[in-house]
Amino acid sequence: MTNDLVVIGIGQALRGDDGAGLAAVRVWQQTYPGSASRSNVRVELAELPGIGLLSLLEGTRAAILVDAVRSGGLPGTVHILSEADLSNPHASSASAHGWGVAETLALGRQLSPQHMPGSIQLIGIEAGEIGMGEAISPPVAEALTKAASKIEQAVCQALA
Amino acid sequence: MNQNIEIPALARVEGEGALYVRLKDGAVSEIELNIYEPPRFFEGFLQGRHFQEVPDITARICGICPVAYQMSSVQALEAAMGVSISPQARALRRLLYCAEYIESHALHIYMLQAPDLVGHESVISLAGEAPELVKKALRLKKTGNQLLSAIGGRSVHPVNACVGGFYRWPDRQSIYNLLPDLRWALQASLETVEWAITLNYPQFEQNYEFVALTHPDEYAIYDGEVLSSSGTQINHTAFEKHYLETHVRHSNALHSHSAAGTTYFVGPLARLNLNFAQLRPIAQQAAQKINLQLPLRNPYMSLLARAIELVEVCDLAIELVEAYQPAGESRISFEPRAGEGCGVSEAPRGLLYHRYIVDEHGMVRFARITPPTAQNFAQMEADLWALAPSAIQLPQEEASLAFEHLLRSYDPCISCSTHFLKLTVERS
Repeated sequence: MTNDLVVIGIGQALRGDDGAGLAAVRVWQQTYPGSASRSNVRVELAELPGIGLLSLLEGTRAAILVDAVRSGGLPGTVHILSEADLSNPHASSASAHGWGVAETLALGRQLSPQHMPGSIQLIGIEAGEIGMGEAISPPVAEALTKAASKIEQAVCQALA
Repeated sequence: MNQNIEIPALARVEGEGALYVRLKDGAVSEIELNIYEPPRFFEGFLQGRHFQEVPDITARICGICPVAYQMSSVQALEAAMGVSISPQARALRRLLYCAEYIESHALHIYMLQAPDLVGHESVISLAGEAPELVKKALRLKKTGNQLLSAIGGRSVHPVNACVGGFYRWPDRQSIYNLLPDLRWALQASLETVEWAITLNYPQFEQNYEFVALTHPDEYAIYDGEVLSSSGTQINHTAFEKHYLETHVRHSNALHSHSAAGTTYFVGPLARLNLNFAQLRPIAQQAAQKINLQLPLRNPYMSLLARAIELVEVCDLAIELVEAYQPAGESRISFEPRAGEGCGVSEAPRGLLYHRYIVDEHGMVRFARITPPTAQNFAQMEADLWALAPSAIQLPQEEASLAFEHLLRSYDPCISCSTHFLKLTVERS
């Protein structure tokens, strides 16, 4: 499956703001259907991909990952991060299965760099509430439009 | 070591958990395994839901073992409403379970436990030294996920299994196309067994009561009766009478004991020790080739049991794929009726029990989910106490690692629900 670009929303829809990445990708698909339906763009909604993220990244030139993050900032803050930002020693992930995005990308680069996209960008949405069965909290819900426009910018940039 | 140990977040353990070991006058005074456990939330969340939503909701308890939650829940609900599935649907469910075992065992053997046994901090550093080994692990895991996706529609939270069978039969060719990968996976599993026996397992033998499902005709994964190494064998409907859950102050999770008050141990060691005779010939031969002596009473050697089970499920998956000929309705049609039923299956981490009460409209009125890790908590704490006298003689960091390593050998699935990237934004 070769595409120029893959856009991957990551998160657990049943845990409040943890699902912000999935929700932002859906908003982007609805707001920018022209971009989202391009034949050279693949869209994945991956709840808990773990190490399976590597399979989702295979065969693409560029990737945009959209995920909830926690940096201590205000809920709803949208962060634009490069892959290098993720290798920052302060960015460790508390992932289910011990496999966060940062570790998975590092493993992929180390083992099979030829199968990894040339560029990977992460759009992180600062999470607030993560209660089981909760909806996305108001400040994060409000930020989804902005996150979607950041996805669109990143998509245009990647395809330019 | 002369300080308390606090491991606020356990690395390479699935989900959220913390361990506290407190010392007083040079001796261990307190050990707490603190657990955040989502199945309790799901028990409440399921009340008032339609029965057919249950398998898809419970699948989301775990990203690694969603099939187990589906298989125990559909069987419990089928029992509650008096539904019998077709032999074909049962075979496809067994195949779906094989897919989950392949991806879950490959992950735990190579990515989560092996780094401890070969002295690496993580699989990333292991990959630097042994890239081919880690590539093999990734390919094995991918094979499992592809089979999961071919049957369940998605590689993480499959959606096809339902009460009564499956929503649709997977396309025969798409299942068949996986045969070359599964044949490769069988060979890779046999190699995994031979590699696993070369690892240095810490000396730590305990007298456990092992509990696992058992089935007269097959190595029990999908269903069976509940067998204990103490000699008792019960129908699964009597499970809650024999295995009790109690609340302990320091944990959100309930802790299980047998009715006699003993701790017990579920999971791959229990299955292998209790059901070796039902393993397929190729898996038995793999065990004999490495001169495996049963029973295994060392929790670190769960890795060996998982490796032998990998052989079992790869070989079984090949047989089930070759025999797969979908015909007729993929699910039984039935009218919901009021009732109560329970279901059990062997999740990769051990026995998983579900019980539901549904009303005449098929709405869930009560749900009970007893996951394998909750059943093992009390045993894990007992093991930590057994390890403590020697571990606290070690320097602080090594002592922490020793406790973590023991816990990781259990492959605890504490919560599979959050995946936050913890991020420190540094601004200059």
